[in-house]
Amino acid sequence: MGLEQYLLMRHELVLTLITLIILIAELCIKGDNSRKIRPFAIILFFIATVVGFLPLGEGSLFGGMFQTNGMILIMKNVLNIGVLIIFIQSYTWLGNEENKIKVSEFFLLMLSTLIGMDFMISSGDFLMFYIGLELATIPIASLAAYERTKTKSAEAGIKLILSSALSSGIMLYGISMLYGTTGSIYFSEVAKSLHSSNLQTLAFIFFFSGMAFKISIVPFHLWTADVYEGAPISVTSYLSVISKGAAVFIFVIMLFTVFRAMTAMWQDVLYITSVLTMTIGNLFAMRQKNLKRFLAFSSISQAGFIFLGMIGGNELGMTSVVYFMLIYIFSNLGAFGVVSAIANRTGKENRDDYDGLYLTNPKLSLLMMIALFSLAGIPPVAGFFGKFFLFTAAAKGGFYMLVLIGVLNTIISLYYYLLVVKAMFINKSETPIQYFKSDGYTRLGLIICFAGIVFTGLFSFVFEYIRVYAFGV
Amino acid sequence: MSSESLILFFIVGAVFVGAVLIFSSLVPPKSKNPQKSEAYECGIPTTGITWLQFNIGYYLFAILFLVFDVETVFVFPWAVVMKELGMIAFVEIIIFFVILGLGLLYAWKKHALIWE
Amino acid sequence: MTEGTPLTYFLILGTIMFFIGIYGFLTRRNLITILMSVELILNSVNINFVAFNKYLYPDKLQGHFFTLFIIAVAAAEAAVAIAIIINIYRNFNSINVEDADEMKY
Repeated sequence: MGLEQYLLMRHELVLTLITLIILIAELCIKGDNSRKIRPFAIILFFIATVVGFLPLGEGSLFGGMFQTNGMILIMKNVLNIGVLIIFIQSYTWLGNEENKIKVSEFFLLMLSTLIGMDFMISSGDFLMFYIGLELATIPIASLAAYERTKTKSAEAGIKLILSSALSSGIMLYGISMLYGTTGSIYFSEVAKSLHSSNLQTLAFIFFFSGMAFKISIVPFHLWTADVYEGAPISVTSYLSVISKGAAVFIFVIMLFTVFRAMTAMWQDVLYITSVLTMTIGNLFAMRQKNLKRFLAFSSISQAGFIFLGMIGGNELGMTSVVYFMLIYIFSNLGAFGVVSAIANRTGKENRDDYDGLYLTNPKLSLLMMIALFSLAGIPPVAGFFGKFFLFTAAAKGGFYMLVLIGVLNTIISLYYYLLVVKAMFINKSETPIQYFKSDGYTRLGLIICFAGIVFTGLFSFVFEYIRVYAFGV
Repeated sequence: MSSESLILFFIVGAVFVGAVLIFSSLVPPKSKNPQKSEAYECGIPTTGITWLQFNIGYYLFAILFLVFDVETVFVFPWAVVMKELGMIAFVEIIIFFVILGLGLLYAWKKHALIWE
Repeated sequence: MTEGTPLTYFLILGTIMFFIGIYGFLTRRNLITILMSVELILNSVNINFVAFNKYLYPDKLQGHFFTLFIIAVAAAEAAVAIAIIINIYRNFNSINVEDADEMKY
């Protein structure tokens, strides 16, 4: 029993340390500290991200409550990369006059949600899972209400916290039934005594509804668009990428390990919800004028595609889900980065405002186009390969009909992604957004996203690297 | 205690309370005047409505109290088995308290503890 | 004290509380009342956990500990929610759900 064993939770320890350092710095620095805190926090987090890539063994701690392996490590690193990009992108926005007094709170809350997600992903029993989940959702609600003077922001905050409280209540009810029927809250023991009795099926349905709230699966998606629109853009991108990613990761792990005995049952549930999510997400995305709402619905429909990878239950599926999530982080953050750069400068968020953007800001519109093509899955960019592997995984599991529906939905989604591209490149406008030069941090964030989209699409070793650690049902 | 005795307990309770209420409404002398239906506030006439807004400071203190109050729930189980768990558990609870203390320090620094 | 009271009684109580909570969450118009409904749901889960632990698996305390953590997390959740509700009140001058409807489909 040495202290070295605690190194297994290196990600969490480093993040906790950073959070405490920033908190102490906030307590010690007097006066206007926003200038010092921002670069300080970003550099600290950059170090943490790099440290996360060092190799680490497998194992479990605290009597099996905490477990880690190669796959979980990759998932945490993917989340770290996403958060780093968000930090860089929000640098300028945090420098605004109204945000100056609460800069360190932004980092503190973001980092504590990340700690929660890391604990959630590597949880070995339902207690750790629940605590991680709540730590990942409660601070994000206060972040959604970050802009105190804006009514929309407060409304987004209350909608997020109430619906997430309801969803975790429903999920807990399912967990209590699982505990009642199996006599344990440890994943390994629950998995052994599951045998699809009626009560356990009901428990899974409750549990699934709770998770579906977090991943925003139709019919549990109603909070998504409102919260995404009302929250500040950095928080919206965080919700749509990191929160969703963490929930998807733990859901894959749990479906493949804990609910292994119920595979036939959860495949049915996933089938129906995935068709609903893809279709309804697409249909609603078409009629959105506000770009934040538009991206919200597009992210709902992407969640439906992610289910395609899970449903086969094979190790190719797990690989493709993680790979798709990595690409999705880069492309969605690229799109959000452009929207945020323009909104910061002009305050405009609607699609009509983007008319003729190519003539005034060609670089931004090119990047937006690549990000949207990647989201839609058009061949040369990375998003195509992400979707392609998801479809392959589902086809390998024998779900040909579902793959067909998925392909049809991809074609529908092309329509609305191209509407934005058309607005930027073809539409004419009397009052286009004037040319502006964004500052270094915004550009750095956008360049990382661009490089990510190109890099993950061109080099196949990313996929192979993830595949080494993947496992199936 | 079986469920029959529980039901009996409820019936006896209901009958007893009901009997006392009816009895006390029959016995005393009756007088009617407008003052009787007013809210009692130290014997002087009431002013204003009761649906007042409370100072926002109350809520701040309530929130702070809520959080720190419930955390003791984790200290009691530790205290029961403190001797058996030994040094590691002691260090862990110290870390727990340090993080809680940092939270309090933060509230202090942000002037949440000052009554405005 | 619980001798003679079957486990199902507690489970029925838990279920009734759970659905009262869901009903309250969906129908109430006051934000604080909605928050109270959520607490009802969480407490119904607590009843379930404690009853299962006491009746079926009395040798391990997993259910009891789960309950302790649910209580603590519910307090944190309530604190954040009340803080946001205060903010809503400052912005809208009301804590009625129907007044906080800036964003709709």
